[in-house]
Amino acid sequence: MASWTLIVPEGLLLAGALVALFAEVLFPGGRRAGAWSGAAFAALAAAVSIAAGSGAALFGGQFAVDPATQVARTATLLLTSAFLVWLGGAGLERERVREFAALVLFASLGALLMAAARDWIVLLLALEAATMPAYVLMGFDRGDDRSLEGALKYFLLSMVASLLFLYGMSFVIGMSGSTLLAASRLQPGAVGVVAAAFVFAGLLAKLSAAPFQWWSPDAYAGAPAAAVAFVSSVPKIAGLFAFARVVAVLAPQTAATGPLLAAAAVASMLIGNLAAYPQTDVRRLMAYSGVAHAGYLLVGLATGTVAGTQAAVFYAIAYAVPSMGVMLVAAQYGATLDALRGLASRRPWVAWATALMLVSLVGVPPLAGFTGKLYLFTAAMRSGWVWLAVIAVVMSAVSAGFYLRIMRAMFFGTDESGEAPIAGSPASAAVVVACALAVIVVGVASSPLLAAITFAK
Amino acid sequence: MPESVAAVPFIVLAALAVGGAAMVILSRNVVHAAFWLLEVMMAVAGLFMLLSAGFLALVQMMVYAGAVSVLVLFTVMLTLRRREDAERPLDLSWSAGLIALGVFVAVGAAVVSFVPPAVMAPVRTPGVTEFGTQLFTQRALPFEIASVVLLIALVGAVWWAGGEDR
Repeated sequence: MASWTLIVPEGLLLAGALVALFAEVLFPGGRRAGAWSGAAFAALAAAVSIAAGSGAALFGGQFAVDPATQVARTATLLLTSAFLVWLGGAGLERERVREFAALVLFASLGALLMAAARDWIVLLLALEAATMPAYVLMGFDRGDDRSLEGALKYFLLSMVASLLFLYGMSFVIGMSGSTLLAASRLQPGAVGVVAAAFVFAGLLAKLSAAPFQWWSPDAYAGAPAAAVAFVSSVPKIAGLFAFARVVAVLAPQTAATGPLLAAAAVASMLIGNLAAYPQTDVRRLMAYSGVAHAGYLLVGLATGTVAGTQAAVFYAIAYAVPSMGVMLVAAQYGATLDALRGLASRRPWVAWATALMLVSLVGVPPLAGFTGKLYLFTAAMRSGWVWLAVIAVVMSAVSAGFYLRIMRAMFFGTDESGEAPIAGSPASAAVVVACALAVIVVGVASSPLLAAITFAK
Repeated sequence: MPESVAAVPFIVLAALAVGGAAMVILSRNVVHAAFWLLEVMMAVAGLFMLLSAGFLALVQMMVYAGAVSVLVLFTVMLTLRRREDAERPLDLSWSAGLIALGVFVAVGAAVVSFVPPAVMAPVRTPGVTEFGTQLFTQRALPFEIASVVLLIALVGAVWWAGGEDR
């Protein structure tokens, strides 16, 4: 196939976003037509991404798709499509859907570009394109002050993160005389360390890893749960992927990389897992869970080996699927533990699927979370980071406690509100069940997927 | 021209930029702070001129000094109801100072240890024509992504500014 087909998924997402914006004009009467058409465009883009394969670099080497990039892009597109199917089925509580769907497609477009970026400037702009829709999604309840406050915190911290990244990046470009990632040269001495530290700090903040984690619980708790479901999961695959690219380029040139990332990993795992315990709001709980999982991902990157990077990309997918699924359930049936009480008797399929996804997040075999953690921690042990792997294993065990609290509420709690059960649509329930099935499939068929995550040099 | 004479404009402009930046933080009135910001931007434009970056200086003047500072003033005008609201307490916290000091030390160390690579400097300073050609040929992809980013910002702003469902 011609190499230009590699960028067709981006074009389809852009077209999908524009169609979603005008959906009510194009498809009269369809209140959620934006979500449905967006889901179709994203699914088509996923098919094109699979068919186009991987190949030569475009735009003078600024954009390239190797097999690992293709996996990350396809996973992003499939999750985007699933999310939009859910949105079409369930809708939003008060607000209309079409801008929401368009912004989701824009964020997905940015994520695709981020995964394929091989140039610092393209990477920065793609990062902005992926996070800018997220600010609006987090504050989508425009009449709700808490939602807007959370969105503002997210916006301000994210802007600071972008500036840190931009500043570090300008040093790197100045030292290497080229904007291509592969041509990056760090000078020995303070300037190289400072440049790398600024770049990493910016990317850590975008990944909501410690010590830049404090915005995420507030932002998530104020935001509509449907927005959290998307923002906390789908763009993280591409974000982690871009992070892995940058680490692969900079790590061999400065010895500070491993210790910096390991410190951030330990802090994220400790803060995320311990602070999740007292939470009663599922959004806050999943925010801390996201911080903890960013820590596991950083374990893989801190090793600085190909196996560690592969495992981190795999785990990003293994985390994104159940994280999105659980938050979709929270978006539809209530975002507090109390609201989920007795869900098993009202919606047995959804409750069992959610339980399966939570178990995967803990890391129980044979699910995706287990195999992902196995790859990550083995990679850490093999490259000499034994203590880091030990902390990660202990913290995974600790995490079982707060995920089980959600399960206990669903299965053993009784619904005391006396309200009528919330109507679920077949499409949205099917998406939740599909996420649970994906967790099993990714877990069982992990070795071919891991083998597909190969980096072109 | 001897080194010491060439350094004079740089020192003047740098002092204007740093002093203005300090005044942005220290001035009690938000409107005054906005005008100091304008002064910083103009000083930075002058620094770009010293580096023979004519196009950047022009963009700095038009976009930052021209548009952004007017935007800041408009925001102040639209959000403050009374004249007294423009006054703010001087908030100098230790933690912010420490972070600023840390960043200053880190960046200072970086700049001091930076060795300019010898081969990179072009023979002739590229002009606006070369810049434009680059932007629309080699840099077409980032240019297009930037326009998508602006489109996203537009959609988001319209959503937040919009009233009840129409």
